[in-house]
Amino acid sequence: MNEMPASSGKSAGRSPRKTSGELEQIALLAQIDDLTSRLNEWVAITPPWEPARRARALIRRLLQRVDAVRFRLESPLVVATFGGTGTGKSSLVNALVGDDVSPSGRQRPTTTMPVLLVHRDLEPESLGLDLSQLTVRRVDSPVLRDIVLVDCPDPDTSETDRAGSNLAMLRDLLPHCDVLLYTSTQQKYRSARIVDELGDAAGGCRLVFVQTHAELDEDIREDWKASLSGAYEVPEMFFVDSVKALADRQQGHALRGEFGRLLRLLSEQLDSSRRIAIRRANLLELLQEAMTECRSDYLAALPSVNELHDVLETQRKQLRESLTEQLTDELLVNRSLWERRLLTAITDRWGFSPFSSMLRLYNGLGAFIASFTFFRARTSAQMALVGAVQSARWVKSRAEEQNAASRLDRLSTFGISDQQLQESRVVISGYVRSAKIDLDSNARSGDLSALRRTAATLEGEFLGDARRAVDQVIDDMADSQSGLLRRSWYEILFLSYVVFLLGRIGHNFFWSSFLAPVLAGATEAEPLLTVDFYIPALLFLAIWSALLVVVFTAGLRRGLRQHVRTFAESMAGSTVLHGLFPSLEAACTEIVADSEAVSDLLERTQSFRRRLAGTSPQLGGRRKT
Amino acid sequence: MNEDSTQSHFRDLSAACRELLQSVGTLYEAANILQPPILAGSEWYELLRQKLLPQLGSDAWLVAAVVGGTNIGKSVVFNHLAGCRASSTSPLASGTKHPVCLVPDGFTETHQLSEVFPDFQLHEWSDADHALRDSDQHDLFWRTASELPSTLLVLDTPDIDSDARVNWVRADAIRRSADVLIAVLTQQKYNDAAVKEFFRKAASEHKAVIVVFNQCLLPDDEEYWPVWLDTFCTETGVTPESVYLAPADRAAAEELQLPFYERSWPVAEASISPDKRSRDLRADLSDLKFREIRLRTLRGSLKELLDQDSGVPSWMQKMHLASEDLKATSDRLSSDAVMRIRDWPVPSSSVVVTEIRTWWKARQQGWARRVNQVYDTLGAGILWPIRAARNAIQGEPVEPLVQYREREWSAILTTIEELFDKLQWMAESGNDLIRPRIEAVLNGASRTELIDVLRKRHQTVDFEAELTTIVNQEMDRFSIDSPDVFAFYRQLHNVSAAVRPMTSVVLFSLGFGPAGETVVPFVADAAANAVVHVVADVAGGTTAAVAGDAAMGAAGRGAGMLQAWFHQLNGRFTERRVNWLTDSIRREMLGTLPEDLQRAAAISDSVEWAGVTERLVRIEQLLQETA
Repeated sequence: MNEMPASSGKSAGRSPRKTSGELEQIALLAQIDDLTSRLNEWVAITPPWEPARRARALIRRLLQRVDAVRFRLESPLVVATFGGTGTGKSSLVNALVGDDVSPSGRQRPTTTMPVLLVHRDLEPESLGLDLSQLTVRRVDSPVLRDIVLVDCPDPDTSETDRAGSNLAMLRDLLPHCDVLLYTSTQQKYRSARIVDELGDAAGGCRLVFVQTHAELDEDIREDWKASLSGAYEVPEMFFVDSVKALADRQQGHALRGEFGRLLRLLSEQLDSSRRIAIRRANLLELLQEAMTECRSDYLAALPSVNELHDVLETQRKQLRESLTEQLTDELLVNRSLWERRLLTAITDRWGFSPFSSMLRLYNGLGAFIASFTFFRARTSAQMALVGAVQSARWVKSRAEEQNAASRLDRLSTFGISDQQLQESRVVISGYVRSAKIDLDSNARSGDLSALRRTAATLEGEFLGDARRAVDQVIDDMADSQSGLLRRSWYEILFLSYVVFLLGRIGHNFFWSSFLAPVLAGATEAEPLLTVDFYIPALLFLAIWSALLVVVFTAGLRRGLRQHVRTFAESMAGSTVLHGLFPSLEAACTEIVADSEAVSDLLERTQSFRRRLAGTSPQLGGRRKT
Repeated sequence: MNEDSTQSHFRDLSAACRELLQSVGTLYEAANILQPPILAGSEWYELLRQKLLPQLGSDAWLVAAVVGGTNIGKSVVFNHLAGCRASSTSPLASGTKHPVCLVPDGFTETHQLSEVFPDFQLHEWSDADHALRDSDQHDLFWRTASELPSTLLVLDTPDIDSDARVNWVRADAIRRSADVLIAVLTQQKYNDAAVKEFFRKAASEHKAVIVVFNQCLLPDDEEYWPVWLDTFCTETGVTPESVYLAPADRAAAEELQLPFYERSWPVAEASISPDKRSRDLRADLSDLKFREIRLRTLRGSLKELLDQDSGVPSWMQKMHLASEDLKATSDRLSSDAVMRIRDWPVPSSSVVVTEIRTWWKARQQGWARRVNQVYDTLGAGILWPIRAARNAIQGEPVEPLVQYREREWSAILTTIEELFDKLQWMAESGNDLIRPRIEAVLNGASRTELIDVLRKRHQTVDFEAELTTIVNQEMDRFSIDSPDVFAFYRQLHNVSAAVRPMTSVVLFSLGFGPAGETVVPFVADAAANAVVHVVADVAGGTTAAVAGDAAMGAAGRGAGMLQAWFHQLNGRFTERRVNWLTDSIRREMLGTLPEDLQRAAAISDSVEWAGVTERLVRIEQLLQETA
């Protein structure tokens, strides 16, 4: 009994099967929907990469076909003959139907127009085939209850596939077929043209292998199977004599032996309950093959993307290293700035105390003097040392300057020179080219300004990092220099002079010049200390405090080199967020992610297909990878 | 025409063919960049090697080969010819993998078999199964057969249509050597595309073809075989010498008792009842007109060689088209391939002035020289504190030449970048022949390498010496040409003050000459061949500098002329530097690419081309004389 493709008119007598069939179909639809929606999502976003675009074009086409198949999941399976001329395709079809419906003969080729055999109850229009290219025969044969048969032209008499040739007609038909009856003979089973054509046709088809001419030829199925088994799964092969089978049927004999088995296979394995499973397997096979192709395309092109990625990474690292090195050198040169920052940090820690006030005084004085020269200074090391506010302003002005000033004027300043920019651009664009990334980015030559801006931000970022690192270093040093012992030692030394001085002055003021004559009966009051005393006293105070400050700061300097080295290491170790070509880096990451997505989708399709394996164990097909 | 003169003609032809083979080889090498169709495997080339060279000028023996699709009984037919089981048969397809050859008695003593079958490893036959063995090298098993006529070699060949494609190669090689093909056909295969293709080639080489329809269902097929043969002959162009039918009789085949019924072709009008007597194939083969067939196949092969559509001329035509195409592309490219580097630096005037002073001083004598020395020493002494103070405030000044080096490196990078852009554009819009070569230059690794090499080379350039050379050379010339040399010297500062800091340089990317120029400089002229050469050498600051010496006269005398002259001096220096760059680029980046392109574009003018043409004409002439 034939069912119409749309689920409209089913006989009520088969309701249990109908229900299970419907459920099965719904389950299948859900599964395929899931996969196709994933694929659709994947297709929607394309990284700027040639293989990615190619892959998407391929899958997009395939998805259209998947949609088309989903609409006619329930229509009868299209079973087509496939094989060289003279291998008995038409005879086989006749024997299967039990009537002379497709002309067979000794002249090659016999069939030039494909013949479509459908059951009388079926409207051939519903099959989605181009009926103008087919001779349609409506036959009342039991074998056509669940399938339609197409007797195809041969693939091996035409030397080219020009329009109208047998090969062209065959190739038009093959995509619509669900199952191929692959016929061959002792003479033809190794024919290169047929084997090649099968390679193109077998994707998305179940295969049934039939050796014909059993009346004349020897059984070569073993050898045939061996030659096919590399690429195909061959569960079974039939060795039939179609002419005898047809005669038997016409005489009403029961069919036995190989032909009987073949007929049984066609009626049992391809009936309406198996359609969905077979179509599903075909679809999955198609998808899997396409995804495999995409993946191998990806894998072939991925190394050059990785190479680009590595080069970008290396450049980024080099950039960072050279910046760090430059900065380290400059930091070591600017010792007085270090001292100032350190002193400030230390006095901040100490709060108010005699010696720290002293330090502050000296520091302020130094800063005041330095401001004449250093605040107009231009090196980034100084900026990093000077601190946040100042350097932010500096970076900004620098970015502006880089755009404005002629590039030749900036050659000797700190930072990434134009030559470096140019060199890396030349190199990178070569790698981009090999990687087949088509990004309209600053990797293109011409204007350097975009690249310069990136470089300036990069420097800004770097200096930001550097500043934090310098702050850290200074904090560490300040901590280590401002221990209680050390501090008290200096305070005591400083105070001892002050106390001495105050004692001296107090003694003179209160005692010698005032109280002594009154209380102790001294002969006469000593005079108050004069300027002659205060000048040297203050001078010695200045000398003493200066001495202490100098000794203290000399202590600070100790270990500076070591600290700067630690700083450099910490800078080199930290990763930069992006390099000179952020969009390229992003593209690389995107491509790598995309290729993982492809592998993932392929894996999904494969596991889906594996889960379904064994639904039609007697049908052959392309070997699963 | 008598026998002797034919013989001598064929000896001449043999010599001409030998020369042709050689000259074709050299042309192939020379035209490498045009990617001419590969010689090995192309029909005419293999004919030349496998048929013409071994057989032209030799005595008239005949090669007969049994050919056909897989598993249709070639070896069975062959064994009938041999009279014994010389070649193994098997029910499985593509059994015979190597040819088996029956050689008449005494043939190996007078002939070198390895010359007759140049592509095969020869083995003396010892076991029929050897030919079934799978191996990558082309083997040929031979055995003597006393029953054969003394000038007939009979071969069994591998198939021409199975998926073991190496069999096709072997069958093709035998087909070319052969004079007579025993075409084994069957109902299933006579119309197969692979079979038709094979016999179409045989027909165009004028082979004698004997058709054997094997595995016929007799007598049913008696009415079909003329239809089959008709299709076969129309499709392939074969005119069979004779036609045999062999029945599908496996037992008889096994016993070497298969009957061969001869049929007349074309079928006679009033067909009498078919002949039922079996014929002896070997005897019929021996009755063929050997000499005639031999001459016919040799001529056929020569004609194939000279054929406009499939022979050497077509090969050359393809090359010619490729070269025309390349030339057109190159012309188009060169008209767009002009690069203009706008900011090529000029050394600071002070350095040039110092250099000129040095030159001047070296040429002064006596009193003037001493005065100069005094002033120099004095000047240096007075200026020392000022300089020291400046250094202290501004830091040590950067040496002008060091600065120039930096700037020049910038300019070089710009040039290279533009050159890469141009090449990229060429690779994209050029033809397939240039692309791979350019792509090799364009990839990231070779770019890195180029920049590294150039940087190293650039760092070793002694600019001081470069400048001295130029100044000396130009000043010498000037002092000879012009009496104004002292005026120039006096005004040096004024003159040099007006120099612009940059000049423009124009380069050609691939050495195909300037835009719009029709004549492509093919000449082996060094300047023209320079890959990237400076044209309007240096489009300097003023028009006078561009036009060089000619304009200097027009500018007349005085400051204008002197200024122009100073520009020119700068220009010369730039030119020298640009030449250094182009030379480096050529050496490190492009290699022989431009010359190769030029040579390839002019391939039809080459000696190699003429050599091949000449030999073809000679062969044609000789062929006509033998007719």
